[in-house]
Amino acid sequence: MELTHRFTVPADVATTFAAFDDVESVAECFPGAEVTSVDGDAFTGGVKIKLGPISLTFRGEGEFREKSLAKDGSSGRMVLSARGKDRRGNGTAGAEAVVALRPGAARADGGPATDVEVTTDLQIGGKVASIGRGLVQEVSTTMLGRFTDCLEKKLT
Amino acid sequence: MTTTEEAPTAEAAHDGEIGRDRRRKEDHRLLTGRTRWTDNIAPPGTLHLAMVRSPYAHARITGIDTRDAQASPNVVAVLTGADLADTQGVLANAWPITTDQVAPEHKPVAVDRVAFAGEIVAVVVARSAAAAVDAAELVDVDYEELPAALDLKDAAAATPENGGALAHPDLGTNNSARWIFDSAEAGTGGDVEDAIAAARSGGILIEREYRQQRLIPAFMEPRSVVVDPTGEQITLWSATQIPHITRFLLAATTGVPESKIRVIAPDVGGGFGGKLQTTPEEWAAFAVARRLGKPVKYTETRSESLLAAHHGRDQWQKLTLAATTDGTVTGLKVELLADLGAYVALVGGGVPVLGAFMFNAIYKFPAYRFDCRTVLTNKTWTDAYRGAGRPEATFAVERLMDELAAELGRDPLEVRRQNWITHDEFPFTTVAGLTYDSGDYESATAQAVEAFGYEDLRAEQARRREERDPVQLGIGISTFTEMCGLAPSRVLGSLNYGAGGWEHAEIRMLPTGKVEVTTGASAHGQGHETAFSQIVADRLGVPYEDVEVLHGDTQVAPRGLDTYGSRSLTVGGEALALAADKVVAKAKPWAAHLLEAAPEDIEFAHGKFTVAGTGEGKTVQEIALAAFAAHDYPEGIEPSIDAEATFDPVNFSFPHGTHLCAVEVDTETGAVSLRKYVCVDDVGTVINPLIVAGQVHGGLVQGIAQALWEEAVYDDAGTLLTGTLADYLVPSAADLISFDAAHRSTPATTNSLGAKGVGEAGTIASTPAVVNAVVDALRPYGVHDVRMPCTPARVWHAIQEGSAA
Repeated sequence: MELTHRFTVPADVATTFAAFDDVESVAECFPGAEVTSVDGDAFTGGVKIKLGPISLTFRGEGEFREKSLAKDGSSGRMVLSARGKDRRGNGTAGAEAVVALRPGAARADGGPATDVEVTTDLQIGGKVASIGRGLVQEVSTTMLGRFTDCLEKKLT
Repeated sequence: MTTTEEAPTAEAAHDGEIGRDRRRKEDHRLLTGRTRWTDNIAPPGTLHLAMVRSPYAHARITGIDTRDAQASPNVVAVLTGADLADTQGVLANAWPITTDQVAPEHKPVAVDRVAFAGEIVAVVVARSAAAAVDAAELVDVDYEELPAALDLKDAAAATPENGGALAHPDLGTNNSARWIFDSAEAGTGGDVEDAIAAARSGGILIEREYRQQRLIPAFMEPRSVVVDPTGEQITLWSATQIPHITRFLLAATTGVPESKIRVIAPDVGGGFGGKLQTTPEEWAAFAVARRLGKPVKYTETRSESLLAAHHGRDQWQKLTLAATTDGTVTGLKVELLADLGAYVALVGGGVPVLGAFMFNAIYKFPAYRFDCRTVLTNKTWTDAYRGAGRPEATFAVERLMDELAAELGRDPLEVRRQNWITHDEFPFTTVAGLTYDSGDYESATAQAVEAFGYEDLRAEQARRREERDPVQLGIGISTFTEMCGLAPSRVLGSLNYGAGGWEHAEIRMLPTGKVEVTTGASAHGQGHETAFSQIVADRLGVPYEDVEVLHGDTQVAPRGLDTYGSRSLTVGGEALALAADKVVAKAKPWAAHLLEAAPEDIEFAHGKFTVAGTGEGKTVQEIALAAFAAHDYPEGIEPSIDAEATFDPVNFSFPHGTHLCAVEVDTETGAVSLRKYVCVDDVGTVINPLIVAGQVHGGLVQGIAQALWEEAVYDDAGTLLTGTLADYLVPSAADLISFDAAHRSTPATTNSLGAKGVGEAGTIASTPAVVNAVVDALRPYGVHDVRMPCTPARVWHAIQEGSAA
């Protein structure tokens, strides 16, 4: 399924890009997530998610497949792919996320802003897909709300 | 003491046993649940199993780490397919429909590759069910995903050359078998291509493609198995329809001698064909119990049941009907794709073949061709589901007859009348090669039309069309027949089926006058104990209350071929009737001896042997006591009047009926609501009208549910999305209307009871009646078909597309 989330952070594109590029730091903002190792563009880690009645602990690996920042700072784009499975056999997940950064409208205080669009192609399998599919959109939106709040604080 | 003094007299019992509305004697224990469901059975020291199942539709197993699970509290063992490889046996396909059928080997627990989401990869054994389930979550399986064959048409077209996904890459194809019947080749009719060519130039040709969606049997009691290996025999209890076949196949595939296995199907809570299976869960439990030497139990969850118990239907049907411009049918060509799922199940490949003989239905097609391909995909396996092949066939032909009528601008009943076999033409040999022995389509239809108020409803429909009422009325017709009483053993042999179709019964005349009956037809909710008691009471002239029917245990009723295909009454009931006749024959010399008369002067009626012309007599129950004592009996006979009989039918039986359905369709929302449902079924002699009504009502609900609500849906990765009863829409009473279900009887000529079978009739007949009604409501909107289930969204889209065209 494809999930699209849009939010704005209070920093310029280059700063925002750098923040996303630091996987360990950005993971701190993601509820339940932890990064256990980073090796260049590849990383391993896990995330705990509660999907209605099912508690999931995904463990897996990911990598940056593409990273590009326009020299003039007018846009940035990165493509991440990750795949993992629930530690308790409740399901599997694979995702490819495209993060697109564009300068946003200037803030009230005159500071820069960046519009972020994250488009995720999420593939889930097993019990989580069979039972929790209807919940995924809602849960992911809630989680991303907490993620952006945290990111906002980091960048302020 | 004789019990007959307290119970109703033999005469009274005899007067009305056949055709009597008796409440089912088994219902008290079944409805209260105070009985032996498999999950209630717990031999001392029973260990509990939980299954670790694949989340992937198709993947290679690259590693299984069981250490955490092994270390979990109360876990006894964690066993993988590799651990059980030598002892677990295989799951057999009993009906290879062609000699060159391609079928993958089906291991109960996957060893190195999984072929559908839900396939078992490991079994956890623990001291409690909860501990087993907890530990199963700790089994860490590594998979390497493989391309999955999911769409039926794509799978049929896939080859190694075109890179299409193969459900089993080592087989090199997804096409399992191709099975053809051609009336020109069989000598039962003409060449359908000639009929089609003639229709193309100056006749009428109806070409349609219909989808039989995948369904889930959704029986009430989840599957459950208990295996106790302690003792001389290994005892396996299972919520199964087929204890005898299970015993035979366990022996044949595991090497354990058949005489060392006892299979018991205690009370079983529904099956609908869904428990006509030998399952990975049974085989795995059997292997684990043998390995550990301890009793084990496994009961599936509802989600596991929806996911892994076999599914039904799932066909694409390409149909060509040829007719003359006056509406006479001249030919029917059927091209089928049938989805087997990941493995060829027990009779999975044979299900569409059962339909092959039924597409021509009650009509006099002069030419017919049936061409079916069975296809492997990476989905749950499919097999029999109430009707098995016959609902699919009936749906196709009954939809086509409505389409022909629409093309001709005539009443669909009239077109049917013009083409059906008339009552004076029986016995009638059909273009598919079957001989229908009896029937009366005219009378059943006339009665249904009358009860339905057909003309009034047509008038209301015309008025609503005229007024452009946003809620339109549709009338659907289904004049169906089916083949029941599976099956003549020779016919099964000619179709390459792995067993016969006979049934066995035994009657033991106990010294207290009670009658103990065993039958190989093992019930799972149909009311055999009641109906069979009525038959025996009638034949022996003993009180109904004195008859006890035992079944479902290979030690109690050692010979049998179990329950499916509406066979219990026509085959199992007939075996019982024959056994009763033997009891009477064996008792007669005893009666003559005790009454001091010549055997030829002895008459038997209403349970009593009398000397012709005198009032003197002995009841069969009195003779049972005399035979037990055996103090005084003629030379040369054995001291027993017990008897057994095996009945092998010479032909199928052919119930039929006319079903009429009225629906209201809200053209603005697409919502369909049932308005009226009338059916008149001819199931031959009715033993118990109450049971027949129950079977018809339940069958109607399942058939209507296929038309309107139920569908098993997979996503594009092969995950079952309808994995709970919140997503798979099984109807409740609140979704339905009261049915007007009546019956008529033209007795079957192929068994002495005259019974034809009723277990599947409602399901087979109702689906096309409902869909025909939906389409009929929408004809003015340019709609010619709505794919099942006819959900509001599909109906609404059909209206938009139809109106736009």
